Amino acid sequence: MDADVEFVNVTKAFDGFVAVDDISFSVEKGSFFSLLGPSGCGKSTTLRMASGFEHPDRGELRIGGQDMLNVPPFRRPTNMVFQRWALFPHMTAAQNVAFGLEVERLPRKEIIDRVRQALALVGLVELADRKPGQLSGGQMQRVALARALVKRPKVLLLDEPLGALDLKLRTQMQLELKRIQREIGTTFIYVTHDQGEAMTMSDRIAVMNKGRIEQIDAPKVIYDRPATRFVAGFIGNANIAPVLIECVHSGEAKVRIGNVSFVITGVENVRPGKGYMALRYERVRIGASADNMPVRFQAEVSDVIFVGSVVQYVFNILESPLELIAEISHEGGGARLERGDHTAVGWLAEAPRLFGED
Amino acid sequence: MAVVLFVSLPAITSIVHRMRRWYGPFLLLAPTIIVMSYAFITPLLNFFEYSFYRFRRGRLEQVFNLDTYWRFFSDDYYHIVIYDTLRMATIVTVLSLLIGYPLAYALYRVNRPALKRWLGLLIFSPLLVSVVVRSYGWIVLLGDQGPINWLLAKLGLVSEPVALVFNLLGVVISLTHVFLPFMVFPIFSSLMRVDPALREAAEDLGAGWWTTFWRVTLPLSLPGIVAGAQICFTLSLGAFVTPAMLGGGRVLVLPLQIYNATADINWPVAAVGGIALLLIAMVTVAGFNRLLKYSEVH
Repeated sequence: MDADVEFVNVTKAFDGFVAVDDISFSVEKGSFFSLLGPSGCGKSTTLRMASGFEHPDRGELRIGGQDMLNVPPFRRPTNMVFQRWALFPHMTAAQNVAFGLEVERLPRKEIIDRVRQALALVGLVELADRKPGQLSGGQMQRVALARALVKRPKVLLLDEPLGALDLKLRTQMQLELKRIQREIGTTFIYVTHDQGEAMTMSDRIAVMNKGRIEQIDAPKVIYDRPATRFVAGFIGNANIAPVLIECVHSGEAKVRIGNVSFVITGVENVRPGKGYMALRYERVRIGASADNMPVRFQAEVSDVIFVGSVVQYVFNILESPLELIAEISHEGGGARLERGDHTAVGWLAEAPRLFGED
Repeated sequence: MAVVLFVSLPAITSIVHRMRRWYGPFLLLAPTIIVMSYAFITPLLNFFEYSFYRFRRGRLEQVFNLDTYWRFFSDDYYHIVIYDTLRMATIVTVLSLLIGYPLAYALYRVNRPALKRWLGLLIFSPLLVSVVVRSYGWIVLLGDQGPINWLLAKLGLVSEPVALVFNLLGVVISLTHVFLPFMVFPIFSSLMRVDPALREAAEDLGAGWWTTFWRVTLPLSLPGIVAGAQICFTLSLGAFVTPAMLGGGRVLVLPLQIYNATADINWPVAAVGGIALLLIAMVTVAGFNRLLKYSEVH
């Protein structure tokens, strides 16, 4: 793998609070890499270390194979799109984009050409002479992107750049960002707390929690095979329930919740004892679809939540303390089950993920 | 009667409400308007009237003419007074800016709250001392036998005492000292409004400290510079006690000239001087405002 950015055992603390705790990862050249996690997980600090605004207390940091520890931000082959874009309010869009090139003292003609190209890339040529105050959030976001990309960085760093936009615009910008990344082939490191955003755009995602990386994988792997209970709960919707692991044998575990027990297959790294199971809402089958499932229970509907594209049923498994949520796609008609109805629920033996106690 | 009152009460209340909404702001402005019209507008009109009278052989003659204006425009004596006034105000403003900007920047970049508080108090301190006391202080400090000349002589830098006071230099030093806070605080507050992320963005785009300052921080703090310069310049134009005490009779600025004219009961000259002072102040305030276009956000 041709790595563009490498973090090796990097640690950073602020006044005794460890923001980033011994993390290591590398980002493949030309890929879209996301740092995903709740606020305060250390993802922004990690990005700021890559940009040079923070310095690691320990560890190594290489960009394009070169050690970056003593390189100030203005000499790094990285550029950043800031959280609230940080456009210069007294300059027009074109002047904002030109700033980085003027600092390099490039010939006037080259600056004009490259600024025009960059503005064309983000579709803002007509608004080149407007100042940030006269632009909408989405337009400012594009200017910020053009301003960073015009420098032709090895690595583009994006710090929650879509956080201040409304939902519709955010979805549109996600696709746009992905298109631009594919078009120019620059390595993107994207920081976000929005799992949907990370899933849509990334080639690989590093899920962070409390200053540590919990898992680095492709979005599909992270979704289907979360490595930890935190990842299972943070990404997508999952029923997480404490279980008693009775025995584990060649990837098969027998688990018990109250009076009910069942088998989970595809199990890794767990020992008998207390543990947790994570079962995605959409992997739970109900009614007739549950009939030929290897794990099957009778349950009572305790609540029905209409989300829109899907309907969520909350079930109490009879004769057990287990409460489960099942997500069924909404096919237009009224809810098929009502509160208090009894029905069968079931799932495949490989559907739940099993984790030992942390 | 009681019924009528009862019926119309809501109507009255609503009228009162509507009046409140209309006149509320004016009620708040009333004290200012009263004070301004009594203490500023009326005297202004008054001496505007005096400026057309004639002063001859030590007596005021209430006949309409433009003699005084003509004298003001044609007599070199008044040209020199106006020129000296403008020169003094300009030097004080430039000097305040040169000293005040770095000071404001330091105040802005200091991180320790306690240090920030003390620095702020230090900058503010000249205003805590009465102008007469402060002027006497400067006379002592800057005098031929004062500590500065003593130090210069001890170090062998000068053989004769340097004339630091009873000239323009002394006036400029003292005025800069007292007007410094009027320069520092507006600049400081406009620096505080600059988003710190902008400095990071500039650095990220390859700009070093100086480029970041010159192209981002400085233009965005222009409103503070303009406000500070306007205050300094207009206050310097109108300064009276300091030039009178530290000028030693060698610094004849417009306010002193107006004072002298008033003492001679030469009210027309005093009035025209006052109008000239007012016009100069208005023109410079308007001129400084033009600078603001470099920091315009829209």
